[in-house]
Amino acid sequence: MPAFFDVEGVAQPMVNVTVTPDTLLVGDRIHCTINVRHDKGVAVSLEGIDAAAVKPFELVSSRHSSSTVRSAFGQDLFELELALFVPGRQALPSFTVALRDASGRPTGKVSYKPSSSVYVRELTDASMRDIRPIKPPLSPPIPYLMLMPLLLGAFGVGVLVLLLLFFLKRTVRNSAEKVDSSQVAQRKLRKLGSSLSAGMPPHECYEELSNIMRSFLETHYRISALEAVTQEIERDLKKLGVAGFESIMNLLKQADLVKFADSRPDVEESRQSLNKATEVIRSTRKSHKPVE
Amino acid sequence: MQHAVELEELEGQIIEASRFLELAEEQLACRVVGQLEVIRRVFIAMLVNGHILLEGVPGLAKTLIISTVASVMNLKFQRIQFTPDMLPADLIGTMIYNPKDMEFYPRKGPVFANVILADEINRSPAKVQSALLEAMQERQVTIGSQTFPLQEPFMVLATQNPVEHEGTYVLPEAQVDRFMMKVIVDYPSYEEELEIMIRSAITASKSPISVVVQPGDIFRARALIDRIYVDPRVQRYIIDLVVATRNPGLYGMAELGSMIEYGASPRASIFLLLAAKAHAFLQHRPYITPEDVKAIACDTLRHRIRPGYEAEADNIKADDMIRQILQNVQVP
Repeated sequence: MPAFFDVEGVAQPMVNVTVTPDTLLVGDRIHCTINVRHDKGVAVSLEGIDAAAVKPFELVSSRHSSSTVRSAFGQDLFELELALFVPGRQALPSFTVALRDASGRPTGKVSYKPSSSVYVRELTDASMRDIRPIKPPLSPPIPYLMLMPLLLGAFGVGVLVLLLLFFLKRTVRNSAEKVDSSQVAQRKLRKLGSSLSAGMPPHECYEELSNIMRSFLETHYRISALEAVTQEIERDLKKLGVAGFESIMNLLKQADLVKFADSRPDVEESRQSLNKATEVIRSTRKSHKPVE
Repeated sequence: MQHAVELEELEGQIIEASRFLELAEEQLACRVVGQLEVIRRVFIAMLVNGHILLEGVPGLAKTLIISTVASVMNLKFQRIQFTPDMLPADLIGTMIYNPKDMEFYPRKGPVFANVILADEINRSPAKVQSALLEAMQERQVTIGSQTFPLQEPFMVLATQNPVEHEGTYVLPEAQVDRFMMKVIVDYPSYEEELEIMIRSAITASKSPISVVVQPGDIFRARALIDRIYVDPRVQRYIIDLVVATRNPGLYGMAELGSMIEYGASPRASIFLLLAAKAHAFLQHRPYITPEDVKAIACDTLRHRIRPGYEAEADNIKADDMIRQILQNVQVP
């Protein structure tokens, strides 16, 4: 490649600039190669290529190498690595090629403005369609603050229901306590006495007597008497220190004999047992308050 | 009051006939410290021709109790240690060839005794277990072509170790069902253990046990137990308890239904009644009350109820279920 001459007949170097890539994203780098061909024996340097001069480009690195082409020409290769942070089309920075002879004396300067440019794309380019747009955050259909009265209302209703249940339970318990278990038992015993007089078999009377006594003990002393055997009731009553304990146990054991040992009491014996049971229950009522 | 059946007379006979048990208890107390409940359960089984499965960790005097009971009652005792390599012939006996007269003779095995202690029964394979359990049920043994009846009284007490299960053959439910009771042998109390230590820490041989009971006493007691009065109410109570193990929902225990995989068999009702009769006999009573049934219910039912998956997950044992049933089924 021959050197060309200017109007004064001075030999001028031949400059060739290549850039790769010509399109890049903000922050990417480009490689710029400046190839200068000149006469042999001429030293070449670049001026105007420094950090301040190449704006908006940022000079990352530069490398310079010289070689001889076909013994008559010399060639200098300047390789620059530049970064770009400004979007849009950017023209390459202009520079000056300085020439010196073998003794180091300046022989000429050639200003050069490259015609090529690069296009820098923004990272969030609105023209891009291949990236899915981010959905905006969902807002609740009803604002939380509007829910608060509802929640408080539900809580209030719950508390009200609980209070009602509590009072209802207490009322029921109080009314149940008002129905004295001993009165109930005595009423049942009176009825049983009437049945006995009306011809009820004595052994059936004892069975009923045992049930009445057990129900009375269960409600009055809050012990599990209906599902318990006589020995278990004996143990529980002993623990409670019940007044008339022996009489109660005698009655239950007598009833056990009728129920399980096929004993046949007569009517008079049955009547005596009924009287004894009435007496026991009456004395229990006087001496012992029901267990809470 | 008058008894329709002559229960007063029977009561007197029972008091007289049960005296041998008090004497036996006295003798046992010389050798065995505590474990009175286990001893009474052995007496109950002996009185009604039942067998017992004992469960407890080693060293709780299971063997001592049984061997002493046999000694006191003048009964032939055999202890058989069940092992994995045991064969049915090791238990029931076999035919031995006599070259002199060129004939086979039966040689009876250790099962030919009055009281058998089948130690660690779950260590031997099913065929040996079956041989013993067949002898228990049929009360006879066939060696070769000859059938030999077992001596009366005949009682098997089998032991199981609840801790070790490695290398054991778990007894099938059908075979466990043949045991009248499953008795849990628990650790002695602090005071009892102190007494055991003091008594046992001597090198001199222990004084021999006196024979205070003869097998005839047991047979007489059995005859009286058969005469013990059982009211239909108590009979129904027993059936209620057994049915409640199968259908707890019928007795207001629906939540227990999912806990029980299967309930007690009709054999449980039979054994429950027999054991309750023997319990009443021990109490010198000529009739059964629900108390007798409750007293032996746990021991008679615990091996007949199989807890389901839910019960196992909640660590609910058969005993807990039986207790719940006893609390919920109304007594007559």
